Amino acid sequence: MLPRAATLMLSRSARERAMSAIAMGSTAVPAEVVRPQTHEVAVPELPWLVIVWNDPINLMTYVTYVFQKLFGYSREKAHKLMLDVHHKGRAVVSSGPKERAELDVARLHQHGLWATMEHGR
Amino acid sequence: MSLLRRIRPSKNGGYEVHLASEERSLLSVLPAHLVSLLDNVGETPQDELPDALQRLLPPAYTTDPDAERAYVSMTREDLVEHHRESLETMSVTAKATWLNDEQLAAWLAALNDLRLALGSMLGVTEEETEPPMGDAEQAEWIAYQYLGALQSELVDILERVLPDAVPGADDLVPDDYWGDPVGGLRWDGTPQPRDP
Repeated sequence: MLPRAATLMLSRSARERAMSAIAMGSTAVPAEVVRPQTHEVAVPELPWLVIVWNDPINLMTYVTYVFQKLFGYSREKAHKLMLDVHHKGRAVVSSGPKERAELDVARLHQHGLWATMEHGR
Repeated sequence: MSLLRRIRPSKNGGYEVHLASEERSLLSVLPAHLVSLLDNVGETPQDELPDALQRLLPPAYTTDPDAERAYVSMTREDLVEHHRESLETMSVTAKATWLNDEQLAAWLAALNDLRLALGSMLGVTEEETEPPMGDAEQAEWIAYQYLGALQSELVDILERVLPDAVPGADDLVPDDYWGDPVGGLRWDGTPQPRDP
């Protein structure tokens, strides 16, 4: 898999393509690499985290199903994340650039899950 | 076992629906009512919505009001439309004896929406204490439990037809990002109950 730091060296569009390649599980990485512009701040980008919170209404089997459907996780992974939500109150279910995190949150909201996002730490 | 299932895959594709007429009436009336509640939500902030709708239109940013306003203005219309389409599909197909894949997916979404609305109105907690006989909300409570049982059947059916897991997807996010202890806090700052 492409190390996250490597994607930061890519241009924005190449980075988005790389992130989506990662998300699709592909190892094909765009070769286009650009030098950082001098006016850009060279602070490493923290990913945005998509968090699902526990709630007493959603069925556990339904939450597992939604994680599999939306993120392509295996049943085991989705089940583990669901149990984290259930036992620990929350779980980070995906991470990435802000636009991608917002899209994931919106998809989780369409499925009735209590999802929020915050900048990684 | 399969004889007990009210909804089951049909030999020729799609799904057979075996429900009593009382169940079908409920599945027609409840979603139509929830759709009418969704009519005028506009971009009302989540915490100012009626109880029944708060869980259907959750916030994305809990500590940044400006970002939340932008998120609502970008997504609210689509989200309301998504709920409305699912609920209307279930309402108009409530009497059907056969459903196609899209209609069954809409039923799953609509059942979840109805449970979120009813559960919020009833103030459902992890403990799930039933109200005493004759309680004013007993009918809603029974409906809530019935919808949960039906939704559970649908999840059992639909998880069998999920596409294969995406290779490598499991490694994109760690199992336990923060290493949270069991317990912790809920989104609203109240303590998370420990599993018995």
